[in-house]
Parts: sequence; C-alpha cells; structure tokens
Amino acid sequence: MSSVLIKNESRLGLKLVAPAVGIIGLLVIYPILFNIYLSFFDVQLNGTKTFVGMENYTDLLGNPRYFHSIGVSVIYLIGTVVGTTVLGLAAAILMNQEFRFRNLARGLILLPYFAPVISVVFGWQFIFDPVNGIYNHVVVDVLHLTDTRENLIGNPDSALFVVILFDIWKHFPIAYLLFLAKLQSVPKDLYEAAAIDGQNAWGRFWHVTLPELRFVIATVVLLRIIWNLNRFEDVYLLAPNVETLPIFTYYQAFAGIVDQGVAAAISVIQLLVLVGLIWLYVRKVLKW
Amino acid sequence: MSSVILRNVNKSYGNLPIVKNLNLEVKDGEFVVLVGPSGCGKSTTLRMVAGLEDITQGEIQIGKRAINDLPPHKRNIAMVFQNYALYPHMSVRENIVFGLKKSGADAETIKQKLADVSEMLKLDDYLDRKPADLSGGQRQRVAMGRALARDADVYLFDEPLSNLDAKLRHHMRTEIARIQHQYNMTAIYVTHDQIEAMTLGDRVVVMRDGIVEQVGTPMEIYLQPTNTFVATFIGSPAMNLIEAEIEGEDLVFDNYRLPAAKIANVDLQDLKSHDTVLVGIRPDFFEDSALSLKRSPSDNLFEFNDIQVELVENLGFDKEIMFKLGGEDAKARLDLRSHVKRQENISMSVDLNRVLLFDTSPQGMLLNAGEV
Ligand SMILES: Nc1ncnc2c1ncn2[C@@H]1O[C@H](COP(=O)(O)OP(=O)(O)OP(=O)(O)O)[C@@H](O)[C@H]1O
Ligand SMILES: [Mg+2]
Repeated sequence: MSSVLIKNESRLGLKLVAPAVGIIGLLVIYPILFNIYLSFFDVQLNGTKTFVGMENYTDLLGNPRYFHSIGVSVIYLIGTVVGTTVLGLAAAILMNQEFRFRNLARGLILLPYFAPVISVVFGWQFIFDPVNGIYNHVVVDVLHLTDTRENLIGNPDSALFVVILFDIWKHFPIAYLLFLAKLQSVPKDLYEAAAIDGQNAWGRFWHVTLPELRFVIATVVLLRIIWNLNRFEDVYLLAPNVETLPIFTYYQAFAGIVDQGVAAAISVIQLLVLVGLIWLYVRKVLKW
Repeated sequence: MSSVILRNVNKSYGNLPIVKNLNLEVKDGEFVVLVGPSGCGKSTTLRMVAGLEDITQGEIQIGKRAINDLPPHKRNIAMVFQNYALYPHMSVRENIVFGLKKSGADAETIKQKLADVSEMLKLDDYLDRKPADLSGGQRQRVAMGRALARDADVYLFDEPLSNLDAKLRHHMRTEIARIQHQYNMTAIYVTHDQIEAMTLGDRVVVMRDGIVEQVGTPMEIYLQPTNTFVATFIGSPAMNLIEAEIEGEDLVFDNYRLPAAKIANVDLQDLKSHDTVLVGIRPDFFEDSALSLKRSPSDNLFEFNDIQVELVENLGFDKEIMFKLGGEDAKARLDLRSHVKRQENISMSVDLNRVLLFDTSPQGMLLNAGEV
C-alpha cells in the first residue's frame, strides 16, 4: 500500500477504535489496577483490608503448591498448544485436498468448537468412567491391553493428560480454520514451481506451505498460549483435581481458606507474563 | 540435455478436448518455439511436458524414457512461468539458487551460476530483495534466472519476456539466443511475439485450437505457410489474400491478370481444377515502381498499376500503405525512399516468385508448395 493510503487508513482507524478504547479502558484497566492494589493487602471476607506490603508475594514464592501449579500449567500449555497447532494443521492440509463430501467434512470438523463446554465435558467424563466408560471397555475388555480398570480422571497425573486431550479436541478447529483460510490463498503455481525445482511433496510442504503459513502459525501459537494460560472452565469442569495456575488461583481466592490478597498477587504475576507475550505478539508477529 | 518427443498427445478437460493429437519431436539441443492465438493450448502443452497436467492420451518422452507417469520433480526440467511464480519469502538470490541447490550442485558451481545469471539478467542490484519489492519486469527476469541457473534436461519458457519493455526484451532475446547456443540447450518456448518466434526458434510450431498447423524453420513458416491460417498469423502486417478467378492460365482480379505460369511451383493442370483461388502476397514484397530500382531481365516482376493509396502510416524507416485489392483492404510495406502520399495513384511491383496460391476451402491449403 502506498504511504498516503496507510496514513489515511490509520487516521480512520483511530477514529473507529476510540470509543472501544474508552470502554475497554473502564472495564479492563480499572479491575487490573484494583487487582494490583489488592495484592498488597490482607483481605478478609467481611471486606476489611490490612496493608501487608510484599507479604502476599513472599508467601506465594514460598508456597510449593504455587510452583507445582506452574509446572502443571507449563505441561498443559505445551501439550495443548503443540497439539492444537499440529492437529489443526494436519486437518487443514487434509481438508485442502479435493475429495467427495469435502464441504460436509469441513463443517463437521468445526463441531467440537461450537459444542457447549458443559455438555461435552460430561460426555468426556463418561468416556473415561472407570466402570461404564467406553475407554476402559475398549482397553480392558476388547483389546486386553491391561487387566485393571483405570480411573484416568480421578488420578491427577493422568487427568492432566485427559484435560490436555480434551482441550486439543475442543480447540483444534479454530487452528484448523485459520490454517485452512490461509492455505486456500497460497498460489498454486508456487507448488508447481517448487515441483519443477525438484521438490517432492514433503519438500513442497517445507519450502512453500510452511513459509506461507508462518504468520498464521505464530498467531495460532501465541493466541493459544494466551488463551490457555487463563483457561479455567474446561479444566475445572472436567477434572478439578488438575491444578493449573488459574485453578490454583481460584482455590486461593474462593475455596477453603479464602485469601483474596494472595489470589490477586498470583493474577498480577500472571498478568505480567501475559503482557510480555502480547508485547511479543504485537512487536514480532504482527510485524511480519 | 535431452530430446523431447510428444506422440499423439491429447488433453481434454472433461469432454472438452484442448490439445488434439499433437506430434512433435524436439531434438537434443534444439530450440522450438510454440506460437498460436490465445487459448490454443500452448501453455497446456508445456505443462504436460513439465508434468503439471496429466496427459489424457498419448506419450511424452524425454531422452529415452517415457515420462507420462513421472512426477514433475523427477523430470529434471526447468520452467519459466507465465506469471513468474517466485517464492515470496525468499530473496532474489535464494529464488535463483533454490533449484540448483536441490539438484546437489556444489557451493562453487552455485556461486558461479548465480554470478553468471545475475550479470546476464542485470539483477546484481536486487539480489537481496524480496520479489514483492520488484517491478513486473524485474520479477520476470528473476523467474528467467531461476530457470537458466538450473542444469536441466529441458527448458520450458511460457511467454517469459511478455512484461518487459522493448529495449530489455531485445536484450533478453539476444541473451537467450546466446545462452542457448553456448549451452546447446533443449528448449520449448511459448510466445506471442513474432519476432521472438522468428529469431529464437530453430523451428517454429504454429498451433490453432489444440492442433498443430505447421512445424518448420522460421523461413519455411514465413515463405511457405501450408495454409491461410499460418499465412495470416505469421508476419506483420498480415499477408494479403486476394480472391482471383481462374481464366485460362491467368489469375484475374480487378483489372489485373497474373500469369500463373510465371508463379513459382504452380501445377497448371491442378490449378485448372479450381474456379477461384486466393492469391497471397506479403506486404513486405511490394516495391514502389517509381524508385526505378535496378532491374535485370531475369526479374519476374508483376506491375500493379493505378493503385490508389488510401492511407500512409510512417513508422520511421518503414511505411505502411493501405489500398484496395480485389475489393478488399490490402497493405504494403515500403520504406522511406518511397514518397507516396495519401490519395495518390502509384504503381507497385511484386516478385512473382514470392506469390503464394491457396485453395478457397475452409482450410485454405497452399497450392504452390516448394523449397525455401
Ligand atoms: N482447468 C481447465 N478446465 C477447462 N478448460 C481449461 C482449463 N485450463 C485451461 N483450459 C482451456 O484450455 C485452453 C488452452 O489453454 P492454454 O492456457 O493452454 O492456452 P494458451 O495457448 O497458453 O493461451 P495464452 O496465449 O492466452 O496463454 C483454453 O481455452 C482454456 O480455456
Ligand atoms: Mg498460456
């Protein structure tokens, strides 16, 4: 675009986003500031606050459960981000081929994404039910892989992987959709040129598809990290024993010994991480 | 380098035939040019050789092997695409050496080829740019460089110079001719440009509607077109075709009687089986009689007297004269020595050895075929 057009566009853009920026400012900035403020207090349920300085932070950094939840979150993030990206990419490449009923298949893939969390969560719990679930039926009764029926969701270690699987299944369609949209716009003759230059199917994927997709891949990865760093409902509903960072925060703030000050401190730290990621996103990804 | 043989090659999309029973042999080291109107199947033919379109019927051979079922990346060909198809995320340099690297060339060869190609195509200043930051003509040169850098068995060009300005086009044309001779490359070259076809091709293939109308050297195509389509498609301005009655041994139109016996390669017996024929005269073969050029008794000239000039277009050295012949618009190309003016009456002469006769069937076949 010429620089004149860009200037005009950005001027119009500013006018268009101004009201939204105002509203977001009120709805987002205020709670954030209040949260930061809270993190320096000991907050009682009745509302009385006592200033404690950095105590919430030092408490937190001395709490092994906090670090454990960070560890769980990191595994959860790596698993879900890699999983959704790879599965979404594979599905997009598959759905970019010509075959019968392609349009139907393209639509069906989106179903998990549109299905309400609450109903599919119960479906998944049922699949892994130790007594009646299809998973144990197949593994123990049909395939005879083991003799013991496992309660995969009951055990926090295995539940983490169920939760990861669930998130991949539920959210890969959004990655798929973004990839497919981009794939459809890759000029066909680039593949032809690469074939002429001696590249087989794998080489063409590596030298044409991936470079063409890199912006979208980076976007998907970063968006997935940002979303899943805060992901609460999927995890909590399916397996509340998997203590990722948001779940740990929730337990701190609203369950057992309520400690909103500490919860606020956790949020502040998490916010800093997120801000870092968003900065990366805006500066690096959107720049490409 | 390798030869390319197309044997009874057909291509259809669904029931629609696009290329019909095409036979062509491109010899090792030969440069063959495909010309024909838009949509006649030139690109399709090229793409079948490249392996980018499958062959509905027939066989294509590169060297000694049939390649029908060989995917493009195993055919060892290089191709310049009609719309460049440069890799957008790679620099010009990377684009040029991409195929070369894949073919396993060593670093020294790659460096040498890159230097050669970028100097020849005047790309030195752009090597680090991305294709998006180049003009159309520069992109076309990169696409050209990417193909020429390769050490391929066959080179395919799909209108590679169509986006260049006249000067650059001329430069590139001579460069291609030079490289072709230097490396003795086997090439199939598609173009709309008559000059490219005439100057580059060892042989020219004229196509229409998926059918090969004529294959021949540029001079054969120019002097001995097998039918009226080739006659009018090749050469600019197009050959004049004038319908003439056959009276005895004369070809008659307007007030002119051309003696058929003096026209080269005419079979008088055969000619008498026709009522009318088309007389083909290239605009280039008219001469202004007023210039009283040196004539010798052996000259076999026919004078067109009293021609009324309707229009004169001065093109610098050449000038194009428009007039009527046999009731149709006709053109002659004279040069600046001639001083004809609009609305003047002049006489022009034509060498009867250069006059062609075609039958009046829809194909318009050449009647007086001979040696060039
Ligand atoms: N996928 C397709 N389906 C149906 N018809 C097609 C398809 N691709 C090309 N054609 C038709 O095949 C014919 C030949 O096309 P081709 O591209 O070979 O022409 P061309 O001689 O290269 O023309 P140009 O000089 O304009 O590039 C055209 O009439 C075109 O409409
Ligand atoms: Mg074409």
